[in-house]
Amino acid sequence: MKKLSADVVVIGGGATGAGVLRDAALRGYATILLDKADLGQGTTGRYHGLLHSGGRYVVSDPHSATECAEENDIITRIQPHCVERTGGLFIVGPDDDPAYAEKFLPAAQATRVPAEEISVAEALRREPRLNPRMQRAFAVQDASVDGWQMVWGAARDAIAHGASVLTYHRVVDIVTDDRRVTAVKAIDEKTGEDVVIDCRFVLNTGGPWAGQIAHLAGCEGVEVVPGRGIMIAMNHRLVNTVVNRCIYPADGDILVPVHTVSIIGTTDVRAVDPDKLEIPRAEVQQMLDAGEVLVPGFRQARAVHAWAGARPLFNDPKAHASDTRHMTRGMSILRHDERDGVHGIISIIGGKLTTYRLMAERMVDAMCEQLGEDRPCVTATTQIDPATAPTYVVTHRLEEREHERSRRAHSHAELPATCDDDHADLDDQVICECELMTRGMITELMAEQPTANFDDLRRQLRLGMGPCQGGFCSMRATGIAVEEKMVDISRATALMRRFLANRWIGLWPIMYGDQVRQTALDNWIFQGMFDLEHLPSDEKEIV
Amino acid sequence: MSTPPTGSRVVVVGAGFAGLYAATALDRAGHRVTLVTQGLGGMQLSQGTLDVLGYRATDERGSERVTDSLAAIDELPEEHPYRTIGADAVERGVAEFLELAADAPGAVVMRGDVRRPTLLPTAVGAWRPTAFVPVSMLAGAPEPGKHLHIVGIRQLKDFHPQLIATNLGRTPLDGVGPVESSWSSLDFLARAGEIDSSPVVYARALDEPATLSRFADRLATHVREQALPEGAVLGLPAVLGLERHPEVLSTLERASGVRIFEIVMQPPSVPGMRLNQALTRAYKAGHGRLLLGSSVVGVKSEQSAGGDQRVTAVTVHVAGGDRDIACDHVVFAPGGFESGALELDSHDQLHETALGLPLHGVLPIEELVHGDYWGAPQKLFAVGLRTDGLQRPVDETGAVVYSNLHAAGSILAGAYRWQEKSGEGIALGSARRCIDAIVETSREQTDAPAGVQGVAPREQTDAPAGVQGVAPREQTDAPAGVQGVAPREQKGA
Repeated sequence: MKKLSADVVVIGGGATGAGVLRDAALRGYATILLDKADLGQGTTGRYHGLLHSGGRYVVSDPHSATECAEENDIITRIQPHCVERTGGLFIVGPDDDPAYAEKFLPAAQATRVPAEEISVAEALRREPRLNPRMQRAFAVQDASVDGWQMVWGAARDAIAHGASVLTYHRVVDIVTDDRRVTAVKAIDEKTGEDVVIDCRFVLNTGGPWAGQIAHLAGCEGVEVVPGRGIMIAMNHRLVNTVVNRCIYPADGDILVPVHTVSIIGTTDVRAVDPDKLEIPRAEVQQMLDAGEVLVPGFRQARAVHAWAGARPLFNDPKAHASDTRHMTRGMSILRHDERDGVHGIISIIGGKLTTYRLMAERMVDAMCEQLGEDRPCVTATTQIDPATAPTYVVTHRLEEREHERSRRAHSHAELPATCDDDHADLDDQVICECELMTRGMITELMAEQPTANFDDLRRQLRLGMGPCQGGFCSMRATGIAVEEKMVDISRATALMRRFLANRWIGLWPIMYGDQVRQTALDNWIFQGMFDLEHLPSDEKEIV
Repeated sequence: MSTPPTGSRVVVVGAGFAGLYAATALDRAGHRVTLVTQGLGGMQLSQGTLDVLGYRATDERGSERVTDSLAAIDELPEEHPYRTIGADAVERGVAEFLELAADAPGAVVMRGDVRRPTLLPTAVGAWRPTAFVPVSMLAGAPEPGKHLHIVGIRQLKDFHPQLIATNLGRTPLDGVGPVESSWSSLDFLARAGEIDSSPVVYARALDEPATLSRFADRLATHVREQALPEGAVLGLPAVLGLERHPEVLSTLERASGVRIFEIVMQPPSVPGMRLNQALTRAYKAGHGRLLLGSSVVGVKSEQSAGGDQRVTAVTVHVAGGDRDIACDHVVFAPGGFESGALELDSHDQLHETALGLPLHGVLPIEELVHGDYWGAPQKLFAVGLRTDGLQRPVDETGAVVYSNLHAAGSILAGAYRWQEKSGEGIALGSARRCIDAIVETSREQTDAPAGVQGVAPREQTDAPAGVQGVAPREQTDAPAGVQGVAPREQKGA
């Protein structure tokens, strides 16, 4: 058994948890974050990638609109590496109610969300694929954000300030003594080892799992409703600007360009278990129909992957239980000392990715208040990425690869063409052509996180996230993992099999069109050529 | 070869194993063949060996190795294409293909046994069963006491020798015992400054004598440094020449003093490209025409005297517009989902995209695709055409759609080829059945109440296809009166 101690244990490694970890660490608390899986593997990684301008909420939720506008500014400033400043459009579709659009600009002004109306012709000039029959268009400052980069950015900053991150550590108990939290017990899922962390305080940032975590501390009735939403990544950037339907928030009303794809979202259906989220074919059809309204011909475009995320929504008796969209999205901070008589634990439920920093600030403020300590929040003014860094653009990786190539060409120009001994440049090998990920990028992360599985690597490197969905890079990654002595052959083979199986989870719901063709090619490779299914494999589930 | 063919006019659709083989064999049998293809065909994506039947499903999830591929055909499910094709056609198709491949410039000589699969190492280190193997891969087959040493080239990112060697060594093999394996890597640039050249770049580089000799020196030194055990054989990535591959192999074996075999990598597959090249050259050496970049968009048909629908012309979309190619027979071998010949659209509807032929194995989408990647086969990939004994597609009632259209290859319903390792056997066997049907029908029609046809069919100076519509009624090559009554709907020239 491993014994650790900390001031604060944060449970849940999504955006909120990473934000809280960083916030507490920057205020000088010794802080440890636990997650039962990888950082950003839950809700944070399963959304559409929109960094809200606030435009979406100007009419329905003015308070959130203002918060989004302010946080959008802050995140773009402190984490420029993970934000692409695409800008956004709100378009009024041919059959959309013009009355909502009438309210849009005045509401934006009232909530201090920058917005201006542009002509339909101008909107089409900026985004030629948009529905030419739109009635009106408004430009806003939406951006797209890489949630995993955002979370890892916050976590690495926290680590630099003394915090620790323990992924794949499942919390099994929150120990209390006389109704006061004293320790957290967890199991290391990779090694099976028990870990006990003595602590003063637990911050529960479990999102849709927050109710289960609160229960471990004896705080009952924290009912979090998972609001399931599906997203579909289309193979190309059908648009380069975030495109929103200018209607009261509804299903399938956002199309977000993120990295090399564009993502349409989303639905909102009450789910039972946040660990078992379906991607119903009917909802896929609904997204495709909605896509046609924004971009005519959407159905002919290629879908590459789909996923479902669970919004953590606090059950508010005022809203109808089956319609999760109208439950509160504002955050709820639960002080369990007041609510349940248990001291040393606070839960946070709800909120949005865009306001993750603000939520963290409020939660740690609440903890400081309870502890009677005055330590001000500095996260809004402390850079995560260098202040001089430009915001992300989608061509960054291409630019890097081209620089490497021209550097090689230059250095080799001075050597005879027969020089074969130089393998110093092998780090430049492009292992995933779809996402332009190099050998150096993957070996560096393997060295840093030797127990990672390929999906853990994928979330940070985008391995296997392009059109071929791992068809060409999986075997290479496996070969490299063996060569780098990251894993033994049995685990390497199991990791490859698992990676392909996990990719399929997001493929089979959108099996139509060109992706069927790709899948047939991938099957020819892995089963037809490699005969991967007949390699020895031990049946036990690997982590 | 010098006498222009005078047989019936055949349009072959598709240039994979089935199409290229059928086109070449029909051309050699004296038919006037036009091969139309959208792309370069699936052969160059293949593993470069000929599969017949390597595995048979035992239940929903499991499979077992087949010991006699032909005998196992009778035990396959009724809807499996082999049940229609039969062992005899598979045997003949494969044998004939082997001859064609071994005959052409850039020939690929293959060895094996149509019944008993050989095991060969794959690029992840599995032992994969296949029927016929190019000589460049032969030394990889397992034998008691054999030591396999896998050598990688660090600049070739699709080949990971340690992954291959260690997996090979831990896979039990019946009757052979453990096969010993080891691995090493060397540096070798195919082109200056390039650190991740593709297998094709390497293969072309080794076709050049200077590069080959440089590589032979490097390999020889490397092998000496490894101090390999007696009887060791070397496994190298399958990049040993695209044109001069026999010479590249022998040069390297001579230089290193050990036997060498190739392991194929994910596409682009050099062994697949060699086969594709050999067969394409075999076809081009004859009289057949090859229309690249042409996609089939429909057929013209008519009702014959017997009441059946016959295809009279195949409409292809080429640069400049659509064009009809008049024909007496069609071999339809456009591939499956992987080539785009079969499609599942965004409304979950299945289509055969060229002609809209009736599909079999169609189920509600929930039954076609499921979420368990390593579970039961995805039934979607068994959807395709079902045929009668003459390989003619039939509709759901079993009625033949076109009496002179024969289907072959991956378009046929009922098989999970990548799991069974049966792709080439199905393609070549079904193509053989198509050839038989066409040859047989043509012979019947030639022998049939002779009259006019018997007199002068051979004088036919077949005009380029598109021109035929201009003067169809003058043609006298018509088998058995069909053409004479043909109401020509072709757009003509």
